[in-house]
This record gives sequence, structure tokens and C-alpha cells, in this order.
Amino acid sequence: MSKPPGAGRLQAMFPFDWELLRHAGAEPIPNHLKKWWFCLGGTVLYLFIVQVVTGIALTFYYVPSAEEAYASVAAITREVRFGWFIRSLHKWAANLMIIAVMLHMLRVFVTGAYRHPRQLNWCVGFLLLLVTLGFGFTGYSLVFEQLSFWGATVATNLAEAVPLAGPWMAHFLRGGAEVGGATLTRFYILHIGVLPTVAFALLALHILLIRLQGVTELEPPDEEDTAGKRHFPFWPDHATTEILIGVLLMYLLTILALVFPAGLGPAADPTQTPDHIKPEWFFYFSFRLLKLTSLRVSVALTVAMGAIAFFWPFIEEWCRRRWRVPDGVPVTLGTLAFLVFLVLTVWESFAD
Amino acid sequence: MSLTFKRYVIAGLSFLFLGALLLVAWQESRRHRVDQGHEPVVTAANQACVTCHKVDSPAMVMQWEQSRHARFGVGCVDCHRAVEGDIDGWMHEGTLVSALVTPRDCARCHVREEEQFARSHHARAGEILASLDNVLAEKAAGMPGNIADAVNGCWQCHGSIIRFKRDADGAVLRTGKENKPVIDPDTWPNSGMGRLNPDGSKGSCHACHSRHSFQAKLARAPENCGKCHMGPDHPQIEIYNESKHGIAFYANRANMALDKEGDWVLGRDYAAAPTCATCHVSSHMTPQGVRTGNKHDVGERISWTLRPVISTKLNRVVFKDGYQEDYPDTRALPEIGATVDTVEKVVRNERLVNRTVPRQVARIVTWEQRRENMKQVCRNCHNDTYIDNFYRQFDQLVVLYNEKFARPAQRIMNELKADGVLRANAPFEHDVQWDFWELWHHEGRRARHGASMMGPDYTHWHGMYEVSKHFYLKFLPHVIKAAATKGPEMKDKYTRRVQELLARPENVWLKGLSAEEAEALRKAYEERYDQ
Amino acid sequence: MAQCGDGSGDGGTTRRGTLALILMGAGLVLSYGLLAAQGFLFLLPRRLRPEVRWLFAGRLDHYREGAVRKFTGLDGTEILIKRSPGGIEAFSSVCPHLGCRVHWVPSRKEFFCPCHNAVFDGDGVAVSGPPADAGQRLARVPLRVDDASNVVYVGVRDTGKG
Repeated sequence: MSKPPGAGRLQAMFPFDWELLRHAGAEPIPNHLKKWWFCLGGTVLYLFIVQVVTGIALTFYYVPSAEEAYASVAAITREVRFGWFIRSLHKWAANLMIIAVMLHMLRVFVTGAYRHPRQLNWCVGFLLLLVTLGFGFTGYSLVFEQLSFWGATVATNLAEAVPLAGPWMAHFLRGGAEVGGATLTRFYILHIGVLPTVAFALLALHILLIRLQGVTELEPPDEEDTAGKRHFPFWPDHATTEILIGVLLMYLLTILALVFPAGLGPAADPTQTPDHIKPEWFFYFSFRLLKLTSLRVSVALTVAMGAIAFFWPFIEEWCRRRWRVPDGVPVTLGTLAFLVFLVLTVWESFAD
Repeated sequence: MSLTFKRYVIAGLSFLFLGALLLVAWQESRRHRVDQGHEPVVTAANQACVTCHKVDSPAMVMQWEQSRHARFGVGCVDCHRAVEGDIDGWMHEGTLVSALVTPRDCARCHVREEEQFARSHHARAGEILASLDNVLAEKAAGMPGNIADAVNGCWQCHGSIIRFKRDADGAVLRTGKENKPVIDPDTWPNSGMGRLNPDGSKGSCHACHSRHSFQAKLARAPENCGKCHMGPDHPQIEIYNESKHGIAFYANRANMALDKEGDWVLGRDYAAAPTCATCHVSSHMTPQGVRTGNKHDVGERISWTLRPVISTKLNRVVFKDGYQEDYPDTRALPEIGATVDTVEKVVRNERLVNRTVPRQVARIVTWEQRRENMKQVCRNCHNDTYIDNFYRQFDQLVVLYNEKFARPAQRIMNELKADGVLRANAPFEHDVQWDFWELWHHEGRRARHGASMMGPDYTHWHGMYEVSKHFYLKFLPHVIKAAATKGPEMKDKYTRRVQELLARPENVWLKGLSAEEAEALRKAYEERYDQ
Repeated sequence: MAQCGDGSGDGGTTRRGTLALILMGAGLVLSYGLLAAQGFLFLLPRRLRPEVRWLFAGRLDHYREGAVRKFTGLDGTEILIKRSPGGIEAFSSVCPHLGCRVHWVPSRKEFFCPCHNAVFDGDGVAVSGPPADAGQRLARVPLRVDDASNVVYVGVRDTGKG
């Protein structure tokens, strides 16, 4: 990491302050980050990289047109060497990524790490959740099998119920009145162009904010950490941990791909709705809500819950300024919200 | 957890990961592509059938599921559908169906195949049902009230006339709560090639392609033809098996691309050996590219008929409406454009009757053209000299059989009939009639078929050897025996007749070889067997 | 909850530490290396069937010198095979101008495209008409003659529909 000897010319050609990297590498990490519970953000990042690599590989074969989309996915799954494996990796990493994002949020919420001065990073994080869900939704629709086709149809119809912008949004997403070839090209460019760009920007902001503000100290930093007991260096200790997590994830993904390879249902048929249609599991809560209430109510509820979650750090502050809020209330509320999500998801997954 | 320990953990995990990746590679390598994209498509119309019949007869449904039909969503009712007024139809669970699938049903999709089949010799296999073959089964081997030999024998290759059980007024009997028509159990099940169906169509596609699995593969393989083209009277499959062609086929079966979808072309898809289908109907390469076979008209490459007493070359007269008739080269060919009365056999009131139809001649395919059709197949593997010389060898054998045995025997039989020794209404009364029958219908055909498909043993030991032995030792003595039943005068006449025949140059050897020949034979035995 | 590090910084300094480092390095390089190799194989174009199929086109002695015969490829396009004293060649019958079908005119010993009166000489080179102005020629189709058997093979593109 230190400046290579006799690198004056090189240094001139690439005027980078290597000390900066060393400094960044030596960033002291609070000891609590040695717990798995606190490594979920890194897990998400790792899975994101897996998605980028496998996703780029898949675009070599995928054809985003109504005529050929399904056939090209079928070709990837059945004919291309290791195609089933790469596709399964992409599918499982996507699912794990959504789980990891949710667990990461839960951890941040429970430990109160969203509070001042880190409110903004919570908001960025929430946007990253939306982007992740967007990846999941558009990606699944690209397969263009019966379930994903009808999933996209239902979801865009849901979007239509959003007040004011809804109809326009649905029309914009579908590229017309119905899900079809135009939708595919739109979803494709969202999935491989727009969303990744947004994700990169938000991720950069997310990580930058962490580094600028430092990781939340669980213990009050009132006394100096003279003995270095409460911190450990990023390099090589934390980096090794991240490598460990990476290999563990790769192992897990490979086993999942082997045992549960990504399947392929019947091709999309716009003339025939299957008896049981379902979105991907991460939209089950919304789907169940839709079944429990009316279209408008469920959409309003989803949007409202999203807004509350997004603004939560500010809402909590605002409440604290007005009332004496006992310490356990926010955690209880958050846990309740998560439980509701879980119950709706599990309920839907057992329903026909 | 110390850093070192963590590194051990990483090392351990990475080797586990490596192992999993090796499993992935193994999985990839054993993945085979044959069973892919073969998911059956059960359309809404067939869902109800499949649901019940999967329980009642699961293997049948599975055969269909694994068929090419299923992959394109062609299912139960697409073939089994009946229309209002079909004698074999009944309402089954709300759908008008028929158990019997006829070429007309198949022709809803396979138009060209049905056209080719309908004009072929195969479609007329049922027309022999009023011939001598059948008398043997119904009379010689049968008894009044029991024609089981014809039902289980003849009809299962030639086809049956599908009949229904009727009441005194002639109305079809029906049974069960669905009023299912009662089919005459003698006539169905039947997979005979020339089955005569109640809808007027002739034949059964199932004869070669087998019901629910319905594969082209079956018809491409020789065993399929061997169901009927075998035995003492036309042992084509045995001849094929002993020929170089058959030997090459069985050794290389795996390389024959029998599963090929779409056209199966010799010289493109396979080269190891020809099967029956290859030479007689299938597609093959030519210097001009693929020549698509006339896949369901079996006669178009045949230049000799090897079936009758005396073989003739076969010209073919094709009429405007597609009907065609083989003309022996002894029969004068009509002018193109002329109208000729053709005699067609059709089923009326569940009986086979003749119908005379005037038809206009469209074109004539000479036996030479038919032979050229066959030679084009041969050229995929052989050069012209080879092919021409093969035909020379084959032709010579047919001529030999015709001239030395068939013609003289036929002439004598005609004379016996003219002299009233043999009676037209008693075809199997005398020894000589059985001898003559076997001479041409069994032994003579074996010899000719053997030569046509390069089966040396069938040509000689099962063929010409038997022909000559029975000609000299059975047929000729029995001619005299039969004549003797008409009195001594007749006996004398035919004794002289036989002596004249035996005095002919090709027969004198029987009374003694020349001195040199006898010596050569003696020496041969001595050298060969030391005796 | 398990601990995932203690920052004692002993890694790499002791013999035990070196062994751990080597094992870790080897494991990572091997596993990720294999993954990369599989990814590379994934990206290689798949060749389930050969792109060019060599089709039997008769024996050489079936071709008369100076004559041209038609051969139908798998996709139905015609290929013109011409035997000349110099050897035997195959041309695509598709005119390089606008894709019409050219044919051989035996009397003038040239290929002719009726669409715009283009003429190609016996070697397939355009001599008049629009393709000549553009300096075009009839595309050659691969052809080979097996020395041992004298069998002519034409290399056609496999459309997979045959």
C-alpha cells in the first residue's frame, strides 16, 4: 500500500496519493462490527457485485423481444454451457440480496443507527431498497413466462391505482395499454441500464456517508480510546471478514443453484390467465393486502407505509420534540411493522 | 476469532465452494439435450380426457405425452373427434368421439401423407380379401362359423372390413349408458395396412406409426415392415437381415438418426445403412440436392413385380384424379389423355364390391423410370457400374425363374384346366394345385425377393433349390397323377407332355450329366470332403 | 452471536499464520478461478451443431464439363455447381445486386440475372449490369471433392430446420 520505491515517474503519470489509500485502509472499525449481525451491509454489496457480473454475462444471450425473450431464456437454461448455473446464481443472489437488504435495515433500525446525524443515509438506504425491489420486479418479468407475464400485468395495474401519477406511471412502464413487447424493452433497459446507474450512485453516496460520518459507536465516545481496545483496523482484519462472507455466500449460492436450479414455466400467453397467479415472494405482502382490501386501499396503504418508513428518522425526531417518547417505542413499532410484513408474506405463500 | 483462524475458515469454505463448483461442472457434463423442449401441451379440450385416462390407462397417456403430437398440443380429441352421423361415433363425457382413428382423421393435418398413402399399393392391401389367400384361411384352415385364422392371420396384415353388430332391421346395436356402437369383434382391433374403414377410407396409419406414441422412427426401422413382410411367402425382413444392408444397419443402429425430426435424408442425416424405408420411400441426397421421398407411396421405385406366378416389369398409369394403376409390361399402355375404365374395389354395405370408374390418363411412369428412381438412392453409396451390374444379376434370376419354371408350369396348369382335369371351383383339390401354389407363391417368391435384396441363402437354398426340387419331384409327377384321375388317355397325354418337357436342353441333366461334368463333380467331392 | 475477528494482528507472522495464508490463497484462487473458467465457457458461443454441413452432391463423374447443375441447400436456396476444365466450383445463385436468382445460360456460357440484366462470367465475376459497376461477383459456396471416392460435397449453412 505504501508508495513503491523509485516511482517518481509513475507517480507523475498517475498522481494518486497512496497514503490516502493506506489511511482509508487503516480506518478503525468499532469492535461490534466483528459480530455477523453488523456485516449485512457488506453482504448486500457482495451480492450486488455477483448480480452485476452474472447479469452482464446473461445479457450476452438474452433477447428483449416478445417473440424471443422466452426462447432466449430457455436457450440459456437448456443449451448454453453453464447457462442454467449462471441463471440460477443470478436468481438466488437476487433473492438473498433482498433478504439481506431487509435484515440490514432491521439491524439499523433496531440499533437506532438512523438517528441524527445519519437520517440522510437512512433515506438513501430506503431508496436502495426500492431500487432492489425494482431490480427484482423487472428482472423476473424479463423471463416472460406465464407467471412473470401475469405478475407484470397485475403489478402495472396496481401502479395504475396510485393516486394522480398512477395511470401515467403504468402507461409509461408498460409502454402502452397492455404488457407486451414494448414493456419488455422498457423493463430490460430499466433492469440493465437505469436501475444499475441509480444503484451505483446511491451506493456510492451510501458508503461515502458511512465513511464521512463513521460507523455508529454503540458506546458513548466520551472517553478517548487510548488503548485501541474498542477498535480494530479495516485492513486486514475486517477485509478478511468480508472475504470470508464472500466465500460463504458463493458456497451457499452454488449449493442453492445445484439443489434448486432456476426453472422455467410455460411461455407467456396473453390470451390465457393461469389459475393461480402470484408475484415474486417479496411482493406477497402487497398482494395479500390487495386480497384483503380493495385495490385503492391497498395501494394507498403501501404508499403510506413506504412514506412513513422513508421519513421515519425525521418523524421520530419530530415526535420526540413534542412528546416524551419512551426508549422502547420506536423499536417496538419497527418490529411490529416487520412482523406485519412477515405475517402477510407467509399468509400469502400458503394461500392458493 | 483470530485472524489466522479466520483464514483457515476461508480456506475451508473456499474448498467447499470449489467442490460445489465441481458438482456444477459434473451436472453440466451429464446434462443431455434430448429430453428438452419436450413438455407435452395439454390444451383445454384435452384436459378432461387426460385427467381420467391418466388414471385408467396411464401408460397410454404417457405414450402420447412423450410424442411429438403432444409437444405441438395435438391431443386426444384432435384425432378421436367424430362428426354427427359417423357410424362409429358416440357422445362420451360430452364430446362426440370415435375409438377408430382412420387415415381420413389423420388427413385433417397430414394431407399430403394421406394422399400419397391412399394411392399406394399399401392402401389396397385389403383388396385381396376375396382372393385365393383368403380361401385358404377361411376354408382350408377355417370351418363354418369360425374364421379365426383369417381374423388373426390375414386380416392383421391386410386389414379387416370394419363392421358393426346390427339388429334384425339392420340398425347398429348400441350399448352402455353412452350408447356406444357395438363393433364386430372379428374386425377390430385391427392394425392391418389396408383396413377398410366405415368412413370409406382405406388403411391404417397406426400400422406403421403405432397409436399414441406415433413415431416416424418406427416406420424408419426395418422391424416395422417385418411384422408382415416375413415368413415363407415373402420373407423380406429375413432377407434384409441376412443382406449386407441389414448387417450394416444392426451394427450401426445408433448412428442411423432414427429419431431425426423432420425429413430423414440419406447422405445428410445418416449413411450407415439403408432400411426398407430408405430405398422404397424416404428422402435422399442427389447431385441436385435433397430429393424428398414420396414417403407414403411405397411402389414408386419398384420396377419388377415379384408377386405373381410370372414376374413382369411394371409400368404405372397415373390418372387425372391421382388414382394410379400398375400395368404389367405385357399389357398395352393407354394413350395419355385417353379415358379408361378402371375397376376399383370399394366397400358397400360392409362388403367389398367392384366399381367401374372411367378415368382420364394423366401420365405414364415406365418401369425404366421407376428403376431410375431406385438407382438414385443406390447412387448415394454405389457407382453406376456397381448398380447396373447388380440389376443385371437380379434381372437374370427373375428371367431364369420365369422361363425355366414359372412359364412351363403355368402352361401345364392351363392345359389341365382346359382338359377338365382341374376344376375352376375347386382350387385345392389335387396335389398338383398345392404344389403349383407353393412353387410360385412361396418358393418362387423367396428366390426372386432374395435376389432383389441381396439375400444369397434365400435366393438359392430357400428359393431356387426348392423350386427346382419340387418342380421335378412333386409338380411334374403330380400333373400325371391328376390327369390319371380323368382316365388312361389323359394320363398318357400328360406323361408324354412331361417327357417332352424333360427332354428340353435345360432339363436333360436330370437323366444324366455329360461325362466331363460327371467327372468334375466326382473330383470336387473327392477334393472337398476327401470321400 | 459469533465473533468475526478480534484484531489481534497475529496473521502472517507465525508459521501457523503463513500456512493459513497459503491455504486461504490457494483455496480462493482455485475456487474463484474455476468459477471464472465456467463463466468464460458460458460466454463462448454455443455450437450445438456445426455451422456448416457438408452435403453429398453426387459423384464427380455426374458433372459434365462446362455444364452447371442446381443444388438445393437446407434452407431451400439454390446453389449452382459448375464443372470446368480447371475444376469444380459452387456459386450462390443469389445476385449480389438486389438478391434476385441468377441462372446459367449454356449457349453464352454465362450466369444471367433477369432483374437488371446483370451478366457474370464462368468464374462468377460480374461483367455487365449493376454488379459489374460495383465490382461484385457471385458468392462462392464451399465445395470439396473427396479424392478417394470422387464424391462431391457442398458446404451449406445449417439452418437447423432440415
